[in-house]
Amino acid sequence: MANQTETQVELRPVSMEQHHKVSCFLAREYRLLDEEKFDEWLALMHEDVHYWMPGIENRRRENLLEHGFYASDHMAYFDDKLRDLQRRVARFQQPSAWAENPGTRNVHQVSNIEVYYGETDGEYLVHSVFQSVRSRGMDEEYVIYGRRTDVLVEEGGSFKLKKRLILIPNATLSCKNINTFL
Amino acid sequence: MSNIIKTVDVTDSLENLSEFCDIENGRISGKIFSDKAIYEQELEKIFARCWLFVAHESQIPKTGDYITTTMGEDEVIVVRQKDGGIKVFLNACPHRGNKVCFAESGSTRGFICNYHGWSFNTAGNLVGQHESGIYEASDFDKSKWGLKEVAQVDSWKGLVFATFDPEAPTLKEYLGPMTWYLDALFDNQEGGTEFAGGCIRSTYECNWKIAAENFVGDILHAGWTHDSAARAMLGGAVAKVSDFEESYSVNWNGHGYEFALDTVGNVAVLGESALNKYVHTIKPSVAERLGEFRSNMVASVSSCTIFPNFSFLAGQNTIRVWQPRGPNKIELFSWVLVNKSAPDDIKEKWRKGAMMTFSPTGVFEMDDGENWEYCTKTSKGKVTGAQDLYIGLGMNTLERQTDLPGNVYKGQLNEANARAYYQHWYDHLNAKSWSEIPDRNVGKAEVE
Repeated sequence: MANQTETQVELRPVSMEQHHKVSCFLAREYRLLDEEKFDEWLALMHEDVHYWMPGIENRRRENLLEHGFYASDHMAYFDDKLRDLQRRVARFQQPSAWAENPGTRNVHQVSNIEVYYGETDGEYLVHSVFQSVRSRGMDEEYVIYGRRTDVLVEEGGSFKLKKRLILIPNATLSCKNINTFL
Repeated sequence: MSNIIKTVDVTDSLENLSEFCDIENGRISGKIFSDKAIYEQELEKIFARCWLFVAHESQIPKTGDYITTTMGEDEVIVVRQKDGGIKVFLNACPHRGNKVCFAESGSTRGFICNYHGWSFNTAGNLVGQHESGIYEASDFDKSKWGLKEVAQVDSWKGLVFATFDPEAPTLKEYLGPMTWYLDALFDNQEGGTEFAGGCIRSTYECNWKIAAENFVGDILHAGWTHDSAARAMLGGAVAKVSDFEESYSVNWNGHGYEFALDTVGNVAVLGESALNKYVHTIKPSVAERLGEFRSNMVASVSSCTIFPNFSFLAGQNTIRVWQPRGPNKIELFSWVLVNKSAPDDIKEKWRKGAMMTFSPTGVFEMDDGENWEYCTKTSKGKVTGAQDLYIGLGMNTLERQTDLPGNVYKGQLNEANARAYYQHWYDHLNAKSWSEIPDRNVGKAEVE
């Protein structure tokens, strides 16, 4: 059915210790975003990162797309390589990013974490569920929920994010923008 | 013809509207962005009357292909017919009014209502119902109860428009000489244009006119509002528009296109040199097709709104409709346009480039949204909303000696298009029918 996030290969869960390490990595990644430590966040990205959040299309079951409700050549919210992520960060960091001053208050939360061995040595396939709450101004509040599938690569005792697929359930975004990462 | 929609009754115009829209004196009032009574008039006198963009032909190439969208707040289905034509229906069953098509796009042989099983073919005809025998016993005339079809549908260079009003002028008359300018983006290569797959929809807490007006002729905001995005994408400030030697604001019937002749100013902000190169590569063939002048407009610093709520940026190739959802809310439907004949990697770069700049995650759009929402929110204040807003830049810039079609104003740093937009808006709200709308055009209707 629609919005498949799993490949058909047999999934081998990692040890509790490895699972804990990945969980801590994901929690730290989100804390860096909440604290606007964008350079440190970018340092977690693999040089070949593909950071993808496709647009979700409300289609009938008999008219599904390449991946159900989304397709790789259709419009997206993010379909980024490292250079693109760097450009987004560069805007956040400009003094003339008027809509970021006063700043946006973020709380990112991650749960339902499943960690499996990836296709090659040192790679991990990670499923998770996220919640992003943003508040701006005196009373604006935007909540985005979704699912993610990440590919992490272990490098020198830590991880780098090599692939991220972000799927929200909404075909219409209920707010004006996504001025954060998910 | 019994399946053609009933037109809505036209109520009296608001008496005090001129207090809120005094274009001659370069003045509007914030009240027009938040007043509920004005909004109700807009649904009736603008969205139930004007030609509205509903689809690009490339979204529904084959028989039975459909998309759903809205005309104002009314939900419609746009579906390709067996004969190649396009029909637009209210997305509502004529039995109890339930929605008959819940998907945003797809391909089908017909539409079946979930409630009582009324079944319609793609031509909108009622072809069956659950328990059909009881209808026969009631002398039910199937031919009178098809999906309700809008009054007129027509297209220009792949852009499909529809109107609920049988009295509306033809699409060609409606667009007038603006088509000459539209062709710079929509007909600059053999084969025309297409949309990339999908549609990104987002929600703004703003009035629909604020956004439409921004695209009709406000390049002035770009150098200031979008400084951060330009620095992120280009490593420096946006091109200083006042430095351009030649630029224009052109309007007609409330539509407006402001543009420079710098060829690649808009596409450059996508930060993909291959796209600049593509525009330069096709330029000689564009010049051959459309002439030298318009070959400079393909991706130049520019923006356009076709009245009331269809807008685009040539170069970024973002195409959008500001769908009204009450006085203080819009849904933005956006698409990406490419030339059909462009190489695949060029199409792909445009799909991503439009996303990076003008989309809910776009580095340019983020600063727009904030501005438009707060222009709307402040106008809700009883006293604030009653204050005058200045809209008087470029009052005496009409070009009387020009070969260009339309009402031509010198310079794109100019509020001439915004004034013409609000004037046309005002004229519609004051008119009971098309014949009461004054012709305020002063330029050439035709191009030689």
